Amino acid sequence: MSQEPHTETRPATPTAHIASIGTALPGDPVDNASLAKMLGVNEEWIEVFIGTKTRHFARDLATGEVRWSLADLCARAAEKALYADGVDASAIDFIVLGTATPDTLMPATVNDVADQLGLDQVPTFQLQSGCAGAVQALSLAQTMIASGQYRTGLVIGGDVCSKHLDVRRDLSDAAPSDLVNFVLFGDGAGAAVLTAEPAGQRIAVRHVLNRFTGLGRKAGQVIEWFGLADRHDDRQALTEDYKAIEEGVPVMAVEILWELLGELDWEADDLDYLLPPQLSGRMTRRITEELGLPTAREVSCVADTGNNGNALPFLQIEKLLGEMSPGEKALAVAVESSKWIKAGFALEKI
Amino acid sequence: MSSPASTFTLDAFTRLVRDEIGIPLQPEQVSADFDELPDWDSLYLLKLVTALESATGHGVPVGKILEARSLKEIYDLAVPA
Repeated sequence: MSQEPHTETRPATPTAHIASIGTALPGDPVDNASLAKMLGVNEEWIEVFIGTKTRHFARDLATGEVRWSLADLCARAAEKALYADGVDASAIDFIVLGTATPDTLMPATVNDVADQLGLDQVPTFQLQSGCAGAVQALSLAQTMIASGQYRTGLVIGGDVCSKHLDVRRDLSDAAPSDLVNFVLFGDGAGAAVLTAEPAGQRIAVRHVLNRFTGLGRKAGQVIEWFGLADRHDDRQALTEDYKAIEEGVPVMAVEILWELLGELDWEADDLDYLLPPQLSGRMTRRITEELGLPTAREVSCVADTGNNGNALPFLQIEKLLGEMSPGEKALAVAVESSKWIKAGFALEKI
Repeated sequence: MSSPASTFTLDAFTRLVRDEIGIPLQPEQVSADFDELPDWDSLYLLKLVTALESATGHGVPVGKILEARSLKEIYDLAVPA
């Protein structure tokens, strides 16, 4: 049985506002030449097929040393967001973190972030999610502010994908689906201060979409976690059905775009900026072409940052803030190919 | 060990594809469009490009190879007549 979205009964999205953004990328960028050498693969293939030029890793790939935890990166991004808006941390009423790669299963990383920020006695939430996690965090934060109970929240997204990138093992027989992870992914975090009233950057969040659409669909991306009983399994830790992603994500991105425009009653020509899904430099270029919005300026970061999961929307918004003028509109599209989640949001500077 | 391009035959290429990628490629499928090869995944090019460079002893035109529609086209690009 097919299920249609319940558009008729959905109330209009109440508005919250992004006051500021902060981001954190660990260490120096790692270029394709260094990665190609480490992996024994063709550098040009990375450039042409993946289209990503650099990425940042929290872990020193050569030695395996963990230089920054996810909590470290998230706290650094949150500090920057708080500093940018001149908000004292004590004004924060709640924290929501979206991540697919928490430092530990317990405590939830969001609580370590709160600790690093010197916050106490605040509600914290952590959403376990891939590329849609930042949008889910935004959705929850917006709902909390709309409830009237909370006025200022921290929305954080981040991932440390390098946990599953081990170049010290023998990669000569590694499957292409294993090797590709090294060149696709990166680490990073981003944070936004969300407020009830316009403040700081005065970016109104006009709509947030977060919907599971994976009924009966095989997962397009899987990240395993290993415990004491199964840690010696030789399962690949991070697998992607690249073919399904290549076929499915562009179609879903177009559907998300038109659904968001319909919800907002915006015309495609109204859009000043488009924040497309950030899979890889090449896939993002392809998806942007298929979205077909010649008048909207594309705001992307993945070619420079790598796919660092839940940090991406914040990195895109940070770039957007440098360009956006009052009255301008932006629309973000995200797809989580794990269990096929449609996500996106609409912003307007006021 | 690298072998000169001229000795890297189409049969050797077919074996290389089978060994490196592990898809059960039959000789008659070498010229088939990728859409007709259900086991094909564009991701396999990562391994294939590296293996081809090692087998032919020289670089291969990656950009053109990514646009190829069949394994035979890839062979012709890697081993020009």
